[in-house]
Amino acid sequence: MKERQCEVIRRELDDLTLGDEGSTAVTQHLRECGECREFHQKQTRLRQIVGSLGTVEAPPDFDFRLRARLANESSSAGFHLRAFQWSSAKGFAAVAMLLVFVGGVVYVRTISNPPAGPVAVQREEPVKPPVKPVEDKVVAPVQPPQVALNEVSDTVARKGRGTERVVRPQKRTPVSMDFSSERAETISNSSRQSTIFPIDASQQSFTVSLDDGRGNARTISLPTISFGSQRVIPTRANQFTQKGVWY
Amino acid sequence: MPKRVATIASLLLCCVATMALSVKAQAPAQPPRKTAPPSRAAVRPVDKRQDAPQVVTIVHRLNGLKMFRLLLRSEQHLQAVDRLDSSFSLMDEVHTNVIAGLAMDDGETIAAWLPEANVEFGPADFPAFNLQTPNIPQPPSARPAPDAPVAPNPWNAFRGNFFPPPDVTVIGADGKPLVAQYVGLDAVTGLSILRLAGKNPAAVGALQEDPVDVGESVRLYGPEPVTGQRGLLNSGLYVRIGATEGKVFDVRRAPTGGVARFKVSSPRLSQSIIGGVAINDAGETIGIVVGLEGTEASVLPAAVIRRAARRVLERQASVPKPWLGAQGVAVAQLKLDQFLNHGWKPERAAALAGDHQGILLTSIMPDSPAAKAALRAGDVILKVNNQEIDNGEDFTWLLEQAGPSSSVSFTVARPDRMVAEALDVKLSGKLDSGFTWRFGSNRPAANDFLIHHGIETIALRPAVALQLGTTAGLLVVYVEPATAAFDAGLQPGDVIQSINGQSVTLLRRPFLSPSNQPATMKFEIVRNKEKRTLTVVNPVKKKP
Repeated sequence: MKERQCEVIRRELDDLTLGDEGSTAVTQHLRECGECREFHQKQTRLRQIVGSLGTVEAPPDFDFRLRARLANESSSAGFHLRAFQWSSAKGFAAVAMLLVFVGGVVYVRTISNPPAGPVAVQREEPVKPPVKPVEDKVVAPVQPPQVALNEVSDTVARKGRGTERVVRPQKRTPVSMDFSSERAETISNSSRQSTIFPIDASQQSFTVSLDDGRGNARTISLPTISFGSQRVIPTRANQFTQKGVWY
Repeated sequence: MPKRVATIASLLLCCVATMALSVKAQAPAQPPRKTAPPSRAAVRPVDKRQDAPQVVTIVHRLNGLKMFRLLLRSEQHLQAVDRLDSSFSLMDEVHTNVIAGLAMDDGETIAAWLPEANVEFGPADFPAFNLQTPNIPQPPSARPAPDAPVAPNPWNAFRGNFFPPPDVTVIGADGKPLVAQYVGLDAVTGLSILRLAGKNPAAVGALQEDPVDVGESVRLYGPEPVTGQRGLLNSGLYVRIGATEGKVFDVRRAPTGGVARFKVSSPRLSQSIIGGVAINDAGETIGIVVGLEGTEASVLPAAVIRRAARRVLERQASVPKPWLGAQGVAVAQLKLDQFLNHGWKPERAAALAGDHQGILLTSIMPDSPAAKAALRAGDVILKVNNQEIDNGEDFTWLLEQAGPSSSVSFTVARPDRMVAEALDVKLSGKLDSGFTWRFGSNRPAANDFLIHHGIETIALRPAVALQLGTTAGLLVVYVEPATAAFDAGLQPGDVIQSINGQSVTLLRRPFLSPSNQPATMKFEIVRNKEKRTLTVVNPVKKKP
């Protein structure tokens, strides 16, 4: 009980300022309780000491620095949150880009390499006893020597790359295409139609130096081979032009 | 900001999803790789456009002499050979042209537009042009089968051993060589016609002679070199048949109703497509490319090709162009004064000019079919075989379709006659400038002496002459068969050193007017590094 009374009195003593006597109850309790009287004397002496120190002036930029520090601390706290959000968004975007890239690769491969033909499938399949040997005979046409050349070249290509690759059918063009505004595609037929064959062409170069009879010499190197009407030498007149006269 | 990032990411994800769906949609029929392989016939889509069994490859080889002949026809105005490779040989092959050919639907005939065909022939090879030419033997097959018996070459007997027949090889669509015989050249179209020794083993596509339509899709097939790894299998040249897509955009109608020419537009064309075979979506042949101007290919329609082949096969020889021997201008291009200058009265001239029909003849060549038919300058040809003429192309077309040595009926209006009259004209044959350059060339008159004797020469500089075993002279590159020089034994490959004791060089070519030429001429020549003397009888002096 006494302790409870002392606690209440001491709390009231904390609120007193210097020179203040306090309430009659406090005064009477201090007379009767030696412990609280000692507490009051120590506290009064401490207040007197602090009061004797005088006022301390704040630096002129104290207010600015204080506000800046507060703002910095608040933004720092926000940065941690946003940094986390940004890094996760970048990762998300990177994953998305990766998916786009993979999707693009798959798309391009699908367009440029149509479904592999039966030859490719056969090569990837494990060797199994043929279920319909008669059909196989029909499927495998008698290849002329020139077609065998295709196979040889493919084999050479595979060996050169050091990897086992399947023989893919040659590129096919879309069935319909409007060429009115874009370049026409030079296509190659499928292996069955576009037989590759060697041409026994001259390897002898024909470089001739000629003059026009007036001492004007010129040297002409003539190609050993030409395709179509890639004229070796421009002729004086088109061979079969219609002149509009009927001599 | 985070919302924006999230939006972008969402869009990207949408793109990925869309692409994945599109890929899936485009490859619905792709079988799983683990499944059993179906038969090839079941998988391969039937695409007739890729079948071009009617397209064959023609390999045309030229030796050194023929290349010199080509040089003489060039725009270079070349007169002398100054230097040659030390390994050069006149008879060895120096150039090869690879071009498409059309295997026609009879299984035996090949039509091809060989760009250097004109160096193979002379006027004597066109019997319709030179009716006095003896029977011309046909050239043997250029590349007979290895096991074929060796037979004497009548073509060489006619043309000389040093000017061999066209060296032409036909390679079928399957890459196998086909034994073929060069039959002749159709000078109207420029098509060379060959005949296979046996039936073409490949099933050829039909010739579509119906008119083509503007906008119709066309593929132009022709041989192309194989580049890349396949071409490097060894040092040889490999070829395959490629194709270019295009569309018909211009069709020129003939006055008789058919198609005279049509054009195919494709941005990706080059000179190599000339000679290519045009095939429609149904796999039918619709023409052969015979010209190129920018991105436009001029195509000879199938019906014209068939007629050209028929002309050559009927004669079993080359066919010249029909020759009228007249010059004229389409009435639609004339002014009234030009009629008046040819004797027309103003009112009749106005009526003619208003009709915009016919050809006004401006000159007639002496001794020509036109002169023999009594055609005169000032006449207006209104119709040919009852077909009206609107322009010069119509007139040319009608004459060409009539053919050389044929009779045509002209409906002619004349200044001094009130009524148009009918005239029958017997056409003759004529070679084009590729064959007749020597008659109309701008070369010095001195060269005409040899040219008029059917001898084509090119001068040799000393260094080159030494290679051929002489010091100077004129190299003979062609001798017209059935001429006095040919009969005397002059051959391509000979070097003429002198004529009647006068040395001949580039600067000292023989120049003798026909009236001053002696009855016989002695040619001192070098053949195979040996000197010889040939006596040539002057045909001018021989005839009274």
